[in-house]
Amino acid sequence: MLAYGQGDAGAFETLYRRHRGPLYRFVLRAIKQRSAAEELFQEVWIRVIESRSRYAPQARFTTWLYTIAHNLLVDHWRKKGLSLVSLDAEDVPLDSANPARQVEARESLARLLDILEKLPAAQREAFLMHQEAGLSVAEIAAATGSNEEAAKSRLRYAMAKLKAALDE
Amino acid sequence: MSDERKISERYRELAREEPPRHLDDAILAASRRETRSRPAPLVVPSGRRRWYFPVAAAAIIVLAVAVTVHVERDEQNFEVAEAPVSAPTPAAPAVQSAPPAPPAAKEQAARKKEGFTPDPAAGSRQAPSQAESAPALSDLYKKPAPPPDETSNRARAKARADAEQAQAREETRAAAPTPARAASDRLASAAAVASPEQWLQGIADLRRQGRHEEADRQLAEFRKRYPDYRIPDAILGTMEKR
Repeated sequence: MLAYGQGDAGAFETLYRRHRGPLYRFVLRAIKQRSAAEELFQEVWIRVIESRSRYAPQARFTTWLYTIAHNLLVDHWRKKGLSLVSLDAEDVPLDSANPARQVEARESLARLLDILEKLPAAQREAFLMHQEAGLSVAEIAAATGSNEEAAKSRLRYAMAKLKAALDE
Repeated sequence: MSDERKISERYRELAREEPPRHLDDAILAASRRETRSRPAPLVVPSGRRRWYFPVAAAAIIVLAVAVTVHVERDEQNFEVAEAPVSAPTPAAPAVQSAPPAPPAAKEQAARKKEGFTPDPAAGSRQAPSQAESAPALSDLYKKPAPPPDETSNRARAKARADAEQAQAREETRAAAPTPARAASDRLASAAAVASPEQWLQGIADLRRQGRHEEADRQLAEFRKRYPDYRIPDAILGTMEKR
């Protein structure tokens, strides 16, 4: 990013190629609407481009990149009348009304995705940051503007629910 | 730990969606546009330092403008001070149709070429001396002979006065002019303006013509006028009284 900040367009391309997939999946699975996800994904990179002259390496680029994505996600949820943080401790019930479907989907990957989609937004975000970007608990905390305990708790909850869904 | 790995492995089995091609192209094009349109600063300003560069740039611009205006004013003042110096030069066209530029003007032109700004005080100091020398230069054009030095001027004035006295004496002594006397008068008047050598040569001529009395008189006059003049022996032999 520093090289791009000094005018090296190739450096940005290298960064983009490295992060485009994980970031796109992170945004897509956080929003679940492809068009909105694509718009937000593009907006994240535009912010990166515009910040090139102000970029100061205070953390890993990945952490910085997902911080931007998190902030845009918060804006997105806010526009939708939702809150990312308030859902933190809230459990969205699984589709227990249709046990047959659960059984059918248990072996499928679609089930995992379904469970992931039903996770509270903050837990899902922490899980996606961990899985897609490889961020540590501390980095998730930094990217989401929370403390490490909260980040650790969200990640742990997400893991437990996903595990429970897979074990069923 | 194994649960987490298991979940991660299952998660990795999900579809690996990628951003569409048009998004890639749009983002990469935007990144290239940004590098072309706005080069990044060498030092990334942050916080209060963000103001340093604009303020420094503004200060430099103001300083540059002030210096430019100051230099222009100085040049104008210098040209005004220089004007009296260049005024006498029109005297030269009487002799030459296209007089060369005065040395001061040439120097000024050279200084302007080099971007040198002369000290106005120095210019004004230089001007009077040039103004004094300029009329003398124009006099040189007017006078046919070069200006004599002070001693020769004095000698010539004295010779002229003596010649006038001698002429007056001759006039009172001789009632009617004879050809010999007329020649003597011419010689006396010539002596008033001629050099000592020429005068001595005139005396020698008188001797050859047999006008010894006149020659003796002229020689005595010569001795009086040039008491310290050493007459060469070869010439002396031709003009001594026989």
